[in-house]
Amino acid sequence: MSLLRNTLMVLILLTIAWVGFIFITFVLAYTLFPALEYTDGSLTLGLLRVAVGIAVIMLWIYGWYTLTKMWLRKMLS
Amino acid sequence: MITLFMVFILSLILVILLTPIFIKIGRRLNLTGADIHKPSKPSIPKTGGPTLVIGVISSLTVYLFVQGFSTEMVALIYSSLIAALIGLIEDIRGEINPKVKPALLIIAGIPILALSAYTPRPVLPFIGATRLTKIYPFLVLVSYPVVCNAVNSIDVLNGSISFTSITFFTAVLVVSVIHGFEYPSIVSVVMLAALVGFAIYNKYPSRVFAGNSGSLFIGAVMVSTAIIGRIEVVAIIALLPHIMNEMHVIFSMRGLKSAKQYNSRPIIIENGLITANPDEKAPITLVRMLSAKIKAREDSLVKSISLLSLYSMILAILTNILFMR
Repeated sequence: MSLLRNTLMVLILLTIAWVGFIFITFVLAYTLFPALEYTDGSLTLGLLRVAVGIAVIMLWIYGWYTLTKMWLRKMLS
Repeated sequence: MITLFMVFILSLILVILLTPIFIKIGRRLNLTGADIHKPSKPSIPKTGGPTLVIGVISSLTVYLFVQGFSTEMVALIYSSLIAALIGLIEDIRGEINPKVKPALLIIAGIPILALSAYTPRPVLPFIGATRLTKIYPFLVLVSYPVVCNAVNSIDVLNGSISFTSITFFTAVLVVSVIHGFEYPSIVSVVMLAALVGFAIYNKYPSRVFAGNSGSLFIGAVMVSTAIIGRIEVVAIIALLPHIMNEMHVIFSMRGLKSAKQYNSRPIIIENGLITANPDEKAPITLVRMLSAKIKAREDSLVKSISLLSLYSMILAILTNILFMR
């Protein structure tokens, strides 16, 4: 029963991560990537946009990790 | 269709027939690893990788022979062979420095770049294909160490690598069939056959481990298939449990470290039962999360991890159907 509860909790965490991923790609799809499509080819501008994209993805992973850490700490306390 | 059936059967039969031979070779050459979750800690041969490599590469080569040359397939074969070779060196010589290993695995991405087997326009949810001309080759190289290590780090319980990889390639197969992608369909059919054959020996209680050669090979095939098939997003979603496991370990350990460098183990094993280590400094892993505050059997944990992978497979297919143009 307890393993089932833990599995369900991880399933919820996965769902949150998936919804977060879809949300982030939705935001990037209507902000960063259209801008990238119409860029004039400037390398600095291109790299800056890519850096923003990577930063957003890293933020997604870090948010996911923080949520997991909080849940695990609560479970093990 | 006949070719597809032929390569499926070939891959399945080769892995089923070769694995017992490689189990004997592993014992004879002392290429074994301790099954630490069992009370008696038996030595299990870690020579499952070469059987997977032979089964998959032979089947793909037969496909090329019958259907004709394909640059994409050749790039995939070379990439996965390079990753398998790095894993084999690690299996034979011992653990490679965890900071050097990602650098070595970058080499696995070179055949894809050298043979131009990629399209720098990944298909993203909501907008479809987008231009990433400058950064995409860099992402190709980085993706090999990331995914190979993620697959490697989920291979901690009997059968976990087989079942989690089966769900990944099922997702790839479903999406490829929906869109009519030829190469990802062939690769996933061949991989599914090999993994089903391998799972017979790798499931709880394991008679053979995939070893680093097997896990890095599977990881490289996953990346190559995603790049060649332009199904990167589907691959990311299908790999969510792997990403969760790997990223949480890296974040909680504050960098790339060997398991031997952990001051505190993620789990505690008592009489064959697994429980999460309550120490706050212990790395956060999927097994630690699943065994929090309980004592679980290894096979039950494998079922839970497989369920998580199955769920990610469904999410990956749903993402493709609902949000991809």
